[in-house]
Amino acid sequence: MISLDVALTLPRFELRVETDLVGGGVAVLGPSGAGKTSLLETIAGLRPRARGRVVLDGAVLMDDASGVRLAPEARRIGYVPQDALLFPHRSVGENVRFGLRSGARAGLFDELVEILEIAPLIRRAPTAISGGERQRVALARALATEPRLLLLDEPLAAIDVELKERILPYLLRVRDALRVPFLYVTHNAGEAAVIAEEALLLREGAVVRQGPTEAVLAAMTGERIDPAARYENVLAGALEPRAAGMETATFHAGGARLVVPAAPAEAAPGRTVFTVAPEEILVSERPPERVSARNRLFGRVMSVRETPDGTWLRVHAEGIAWTVRLTHAAEEELALAPGAGVWLTIKAHAFHRLA
Amino acid sequence: MTADDLGILWLTVRVATLATLLILPFGVACGWLLARWRGPGRTVAETVLSLPLVLPPTAVGLLLLQALRRNSPAGRLLERAGIELLFTPAAVVLACAVMSFPFLVRFARTAFEEVDPRLLTMARTLGDSPAEAFRRVALPLAWRGILAGTLLAFSRALGEFGATILVAGSIPGRTQTLALAIFQRTHIGQDAAAMRLVVLTVALGFAAVLATEMLTRRRARRVET
Repeated sequence: MISLDVALTLPRFELRVETDLVGGGVAVLGPSGAGKTSLLETIAGLRPRARGRVVLDGAVLMDDASGVRLAPEARRIGYVPQDALLFPHRSVGENVRFGLRSGARAGLFDELVEILEIAPLIRRAPTAISGGERQRVALARALATEPRLLLLDEPLAAIDVELKERILPYLLRVRDALRVPFLYVTHNAGEAAVIAEEALLLREGAVVRQGPTEAVLAAMTGERIDPAARYENVLAGALEPRAAGMETATFHAGGARLVVPAAPAEAAPGRTVFTVAPEEILVSERPPERVSARNRLFGRVMSVRETPDGTWLRVHAEGIAWTVRLTHAAEEELALAPGAGVWLTIKAHAFHRLA
Repeated sequence: MTADDLGILWLTVRVATLATLLILPFGVACGWLLARWRGPGRTVAETVLSLPLVLPPTAVGLLLLQALRRNSPAGRLLERAGIELLFTPAAVVLACAVMSFPFLVRFARTAFEEVDPRLLTMARTLGDSPAEAFRRVALPLAWRGILAGTLLAFSRALGEFGATILVAGSIPGRTQTLALAIFQRTHIGQDAAAMRLVVLTVALGFAAVLATEMLTRRRARRVET
């Protein structure tokens, strides 16, 4: 548990966060310049001018009242900044080893290399690898210190990076394998839904929403966190191997069995992440008959929200909360209200695999 | 080439090396402080440290001489400790050190300024103390510039004349370095003997500058891409 009561004067506003975070995974959402990075740096001890109190699992990291202020190196907090900040004079492998201490668990290095799939990069220079790879190396380096808390700042540019470059699937593996609690700054509300139990929405340095991720996301359906960020549905689950002669496979997520494009034969089976754009989901009042789309799910409308971009629905179907975007005209014709039962129809190829 | 010539060469290389080694830790420390210190006094400190670059070397020599003469505070301290400094080889080292110090500081400062300070804070979150972060991140990233400054300081020390002649004189076999010997031999009409020393200084200077160029131009370590 992280207990925060911090203040930091920033050029345009005052960052003021007073809250207790209990989740093992906390998503920090908010537009650019809302103070998300400053909040992470305050927790890591990198902002000398921050005031207040930070307590991590009972250990006081900073407390102005009692004059405690642990140096960053004494906090045992792993930090992955937006630009990864790998050491340019060291190879990828040496970067990861930088954080290893004499008392580190044997085999930790190999385990991190495996989880984050950086074995082919080990001898390369940080300048010779892609942005997504740099993020993974920075994550491995932070985890090599066996931190009590991990702080991850997703680059804003990550919104448009190629699917295979996204850090989320790796973060899911880290969460499951190492069980390090984390704060994850993300511009992607859909990612927050699968990775974090708790979410925090910052605007101009203040917490404007906080709670279980599902509740925070439901309350802000269709709300633009960042002008550059599109919403996407993100689903984590297990993908069955491709059956002979089939181009699709079954994907288990929530309580749903979905038909999605099969993974390439060489991909390891197991935990996989798919995304679906809110525009690619069809909504109907009656069960669709004789349609080509492979996925038909029945669910209930939880919320309806009008924005200039269209009408946004939050629909619970088969254990998954889906965000759907309709045109105003379509919404008028269907006249949907919370509680209404609807059918969602999704083509197999509307699902895009992250890793 | 006579035994005398080689003796002069050896003395020159020795004092220049000692002077360079003497200023290395201080020069790196000053370069680091100037690169990182953002408080008041920075500009003043920078100016004072650069003074030997712009003053006539004889002026610096005279200031040193005044500071170290028998009845000065520093001179009395030296006398009490039984140390004879003026007009000894040690005085040559001191004069060379003072005159080449600004070169090292300037190069070290620039090299440290090019190190992204966020890399240092990154090292802190990975468990490094400020001193460890300096050793493991700042120094390895700045070493090329520090080395270039060191070689330049060494080259400057090789040719030091004005300050040396005032604090150490030009005693053959004792304090007479290449620069002083060339002057003295020319002065007494031994132009051919002076020329032999000039050839030595050209070779020495050429080697030092070439080494600087090669070390600073060579691409960062080869890595698989």
